[in-house]
Amino acid sequence: MTAEVNSYYPDYATETPKQFQFSPYADNGGSVVAIAGDDFVIIGADSRLSTGFAIYTRDQNKLFSLSKSTVLGCSGCWCDALTLTRILSARMQMYEQEHNKVMATPAVAQMLSTMLYYKRFFPYYVSNILAGLDTDGKGCVYSYDPIGHCEKATYKAGGSAGALLQPLLDNQIGLKNMQNVTPAPLTLEKALALLKDVFISAAERDIYTGDKVNINIITKDGIKEDTFELRKD
Amino acid sequence: MAAVLIADYPEPGFSFENCKRNASFVANGFVPPKATKTGTTIVGITYKDGVILGADTRATEDTTVSDKNCQKIHYLASNIYCCGAGTAADTEMTTQMISSQLELHRLNTNRVVRVATANQMLKQYLFRYQGYIGAALVLGGVDSTGPNLYCIYPHGSSDKVPYTTMGSGSLAAMAVFESYWRPNMNEDEGKKLVRDAIAAGIFNDLGSGSNVDLCIIKKGTAEYLRTYDEANKKGVRQASYRYPKGTTPILTTKTSNIDVHDVSITYVEPMDMS
Amino acid sequence: MFLTRSEYDRGVNTFSPEGRLFQVEYAIEAIKLGSTAIGICTSEGVVLAVEKRITSTLMESTTIEKIVEIDKHIGCAVSGLMADSRTMIDRARMECQNHWFVYNERMTVESCAQAVSNLAIQFGDSDDDGAAMSRPFGVAILLAGIDENGPQLFHMDPSGTFVEFDAKAIGSGSEGAQQSLQEMYHRSMTLTEATTAALTILKQVMEEKLNSTNVEVMTMTPDKLFHMFTKDQVEEALKKVTSLEHTKGDVSTHSQSEVVSTDS
Repeated sequence: MTAEVNSYYPDYATETPKQFQFSPYADNGGSVVAIAGDDFVIIGADSRLSTGFAIYTRDQNKLFSLSKSTVLGCSGCWCDALTLTRILSARMQMYEQEHNKVMATPAVAQMLSTMLYYKRFFPYYVSNILAGLDTDGKGCVYSYDPIGHCEKATYKAGGSAGALLQPLLDNQIGLKNMQNVTPAPLTLEKALALLKDVFISAAERDIYTGDKVNINIITKDGIKEDTFELRKD
Repeated sequence: MAAVLIADYPEPGFSFENCKRNASFVANGFVPPKATKTGTTIVGITYKDGVILGADTRATEDTTVSDKNCQKIHYLASNIYCCGAGTAADTEMTTQMISSQLELHRLNTNRVVRVATANQMLKQYLFRYQGYIGAALVLGGVDSTGPNLYCIYPHGSSDKVPYTTMGSGSLAAMAVFESYWRPNMNEDEGKKLVRDAIAAGIFNDLGSGSNVDLCIIKKGTAEYLRTYDEANKKGVRQASYRYPKGTTPILTTKTSNIDVHDVSITYVEPMDMS
Repeated sequence: MFLTRSEYDRGVNTFSPEGRLFQVEYAIEAIKLGSTAIGICTSEGVVLAVEKRITSTLMESTTIEKIVEIDKHIGCAVSGLMADSRTMIDRARMECQNHWFVYNERMTVESCAQAVSNLAIQFGDSDDDGAAMSRPFGVAILLAGIDENGPQLFHMDPSGTFVEFDAKAIGSGSEGAQQSLQEMYHRSMTLTEATTAALTILKQVMEEKLNSTNVEVMTMTPDKLFHMFTKDQVEEALKKVTSLEHTKGDVSTHSQSEVVSTDS
């Protein structure tokens, strides 16, 4: 009987078992850059939120100030970024109440790493860059992969244009691939100019980066905010 | 053997000789290179005196902009132009080839070629390749029948329309046309409408960007307005990124002298073209 | 001792009409049977000194551990039921390690005390989390540690109450020792002075003769952190105690031992 039915099957594609895939992630783009100095740290993120070829909004702040001296920049799957930062804030508040002190930037850095690794097999699809002042008031930057690898640095670019921007920062701040250059301490003015300039470049070539940059300048006096317009195509 | 004097004509059509080899590469885990796609906004309208074609100038490779000012309005004949969206190589080669065939057709017939002819040739060619030639086209021109506008899909279907949009920004651009297009617009109105439609694609579609190109075809003339509108100004950088001399390390230096033994001057006769 | 003793001392979760939890109070009493432990906090660091009761000459004295390391920067001395103390020490160690794992920093001494006290009050009926302790822990703990707030000494009793002290004694000789600490302690004490003072007081309240096998000494200093005295170091410290007694005379020792005898 079965063989008879099979012989009537046409020779073109027919119904076969279908495989359904669970795809719970979205890529909403965005780039984050952080640069640390001796007594300051700046972090910038573009304000474009997009999906595929469409823009959700041109004015989405991707910087989350977690304390008076710590700011987290998130890009990638925006819903994950929202959830992650909410849990992060809750954990920081719990820490403050349990230990009677504000969480220091290195402690936030480590906690974020453990929070990300906790979701090792269903990760938050977020590219995180954490900027802040450590307990000595020195600027520091921590960058992450989505499953909790954490690396301390003095400058870092992440997100959709991260691969475009990092070499530029390596050259301009890390003074890589140059000879006869004398390293000079990074001033806040130089860092700010560089941050804006690299975003101009990123907006030229990365379709997910544009519209505006939100900048946070973190010093011992607190967090100052700044914005900077980018091209909008 | 003719090959001694002149090169053999290459076999017509595509060469498929590497297909099997490449398929086995892919099966063994090789990641094939990606083609440049022009996530694009291209549009065309008919107006009182002819047609106006418009295009943005961004070419992308995945999410990276590979060309910030590319040309997407292609010449087919002196009275026919064609906007291309899709795989950059396909739109370019297809329009060039059809352009040469139209020129031969014009020489054979001694007539201004018709837009309908170009449409027929393009769609038959695309149909033959079942959509594997990824060219989505907006074809426009003016011939003895008046202004003609077609949109042609990669699989070989086509529509004759009064206004059309194509590419990833087609919805943004069509929104403008559906709101503001009217029959018998004058040239200034038409140019503004096309500019606005392309600008809608440039700003709202991430696959489209940079500048607006226009092409206005009227009876007897075609005006190609390259960079009609610079929709986006590049940001002005604050710092200088010039390197002082000696910044790049020179790893090794080698000098070899060229010994000149003899100097002779040969006069090359021009080719006899008569 | 409790004149109103009644049936209210059976359950750990039942208050007496006067508002007392007898089982907790009995647990605190249990500590008074334990060996004496003394902690003194100075600006240079903290010292802990504990007597070890060698009940038999056949006993291997080094296997009695009354001072243990919680983390590099926190140590503790215990008095009371040693078996109960293991549970609390394990919790304290786990909390410190977890804090380091999550925050990459040393847990503060106060937070550690808080964490242990959370365990201490979890006696009573078991709930969904599984079996809880059926009774209060019969242990008092002296937590000595150093963090960003400097050297600190915390005392915790079976009720889960923890309080910071400059100097504190627990165990059988605690009442007399605490009195002596009150007299001897001053803010500008050096750590060496504090060590000598702790041993002097311990000597006063101990029934056996103080020697290097029946005492444990630990210091917590910013550079060395948790440091357990070796046998030689203990003997060195004991020498200072005897030399001090020779200069000062035996008067104070005598009066203190009287206090102890009235207490027991």
